[in-house]
Amino acid sequence: MIWHRWLPWDYGVRNLLRRPVRTALTLAAMVIVVFLVLVVVGFIRGLERSLAISGDPEAVLVHALTAGENLETSAIPAQTPALLAASLTGIRRWGNQPAISPELFLGTRIQTGGAVEGMGGLIKSEPEALAENADSNIDSRPRNSASASGSQEFAVLSAQGMGLVRGVTGAAPLVRRGLRLVEGRWPDAGEVLVGRLTATKLGCEESQLDVGQTIRFEQREWKIAGRFAAGEAAFEAEIWCRLEDFQAALKRQDLSLVALLADSPGSAAEVELFCKQRTDLELVAVSEAAYYASLQKFYRPIRMLAWVVVALVSGAGMFAGMNLMYGAVAGRVREIATLRAIGFRRRAILLGLLQEGLLLAALGTLIAGAIALYVLNGSSIRFTMGAFAMRLDGPAMLAGCGAGLTLGLLGTLPPAVRALRMPVVTGLKSA
Amino acid sequence: MKVDRTKSAVCLVALLAGLCGCDRGSTPAGNAGASAGGSGAAWLATEEPAGARPVGEARQTAVDGQPVVLFGHIGGSAQPFVTGAAAFTIVDPKVPWCPDEEGCPTPWDYCCKQNEVRENIATIKLVDAAGKLVASDAKELLGVRELSLVVVAGKASRDEAGNLVVLAEKVHVRQ
Repeated sequence: MIWHRWLPWDYGVRNLLRRPVRTALTLAAMVIVVFLVLVVVGFIRGLERSLAISGDPEAVLVHALTAGENLETSAIPAQTPALLAASLTGIRRWGNQPAISPELFLGTRIQTGGAVEGMGGLIKSEPEALAENADSNIDSRPRNSASASGSQEFAVLSAQGMGLVRGVTGAAPLVRRGLRLVEGRWPDAGEVLVGRLTATKLGCEESQLDVGQTIRFEQREWKIAGRFAAGEAAFEAEIWCRLEDFQAALKRQDLSLVALLADSPGSAAEVELFCKQRTDLELVAVSEAAYYASLQKFYRPIRMLAWVVVALVSGAGMFAGMNLMYGAVAGRVREIATLRAIGFRRRAILLGLLQEGLLLAALGTLIAGAIALYVLNGSSIRFTMGAFAMRLDGPAMLAGCGAGLTLGLLGTLPPAVRALRMPVVTGLKSA
Repeated sequence: MKVDRTKSAVCLVALLAGLCGCDRGSTPAGNAGASAGGSGAAWLATEEPAGARPVGEARQTAVDGQPVVLFGHIGGSAQPFVTGAAAFTIVDPKVPWCPDEEGCPTPWDYCCKQNEVRENIATIKLVDAAGKLVASDAKELLGVRELSLVVVAGKASRDEAGNLVVLAEKVHVRQ
């Protein structure tokens, strides 16, 4: 009754160990392919998550009609928050304080990496020294130079990157409910808060943004008073300072936007309607969730490209795996013919070969998954809007595991079928 | 064995039926618009109200609290419809929107002619018998879309900044 039997489970396992070099090479190929798939899927999931959680569904952003989706180009009158507070009834209040946050938002060049002696508010460093540094992205040479008065010495700020700065008032946390001060305190005059991912956005060392360090932007030096987290929202890559300080530094009196919390969906419509009615103000209101959802469309080509990369990497891995398995099966033609000659059915032998391929793929997937979780998960990536953390969540791991097991299955199937089609006699005669 | 096959077939059919049932967004847009348009029958006028003026002219002549009939294209911003309320903005037909050859994805925002829009725009609010703003999207209620040419009859509401809001009683869709 041997023709009703399947090949023993450990037969496939032992076969893998019989050719350790070939098995190790196949395993290495599998690990690389699955790891690359996890890198790309983790990137996509991190980007999507960052944009999805950045938008509070109850928050409404009021900005200039002409700004479109680019809030940095928005300029609205400074009295807009007061006008909104007086005209709208559906704004959430915390105690007596309405949840309205006037904000000035700008992308600007930030210099990091040095401390200035005698910091105590807005102290200007030597312009010439910084001008020398302005053209180079990184200048690690520590230099000292005397100020014009000769009374102060400066350690020149050494690294430079494009950062996002938001001038806010004490009302900002009333609207940005995900904000958590994880270190230090709320900034005083001439001080800033840095986000958890600001270092990634600026491309500098984390230590350069420690509390107490100094950074420079808009011809001023700012002392870091604290560090904040925002639940992986896009704000985490920003630098926050006091609105009036930022307005003074930019020599601007206006705002970029007003963020407010509506107390109901009907209230959000009320804000939108107010902006539509007051056409003279040229304001537009958009829910924060809709704003970030609209930004996702800009990243659609990147996401599509990433999925194409996943397909290409998987395809290449599949062909490589298939090639290896063709070689592996070709060297076992006589063994397969013998198994058939002693009565094992094609189906049983096919299943045995698939078992070997899947075992190897599963092991490769596990190793790749473990490496990816350890190395990639949570690591931050810089992009135009700030920075985001790579996210190897359930769907990402499922995609990686799916790709790995599919590789094992599809890589084994064609060579196995080919070997089984060979007549037993031909197989037994083969070298 | 036969029972197993029957079970497998039933499971397969159930699985396929489940997968087909997952497609919740498959309602044809045309049907949705038609049914939604039906609920806006109280405001939709089959015949065009007489004496309609373009928006720009209406902004010059309309008096606060007095009846007004005006016409224009729905637009003026990337999202001319208010979400969750029956309100939208219309722009005087004399203001040209971005031509097709420019490939603008939202020609109804008149991005090339914002300066002209400023003096040629009005806000339309659909109100019920009690004068209260209807809490439904006008797009679905009236079956209209961006750049639809509409004729609106209602009561004018002006403010000191010269903005014109029309509390609409009837809307006729010209095209």
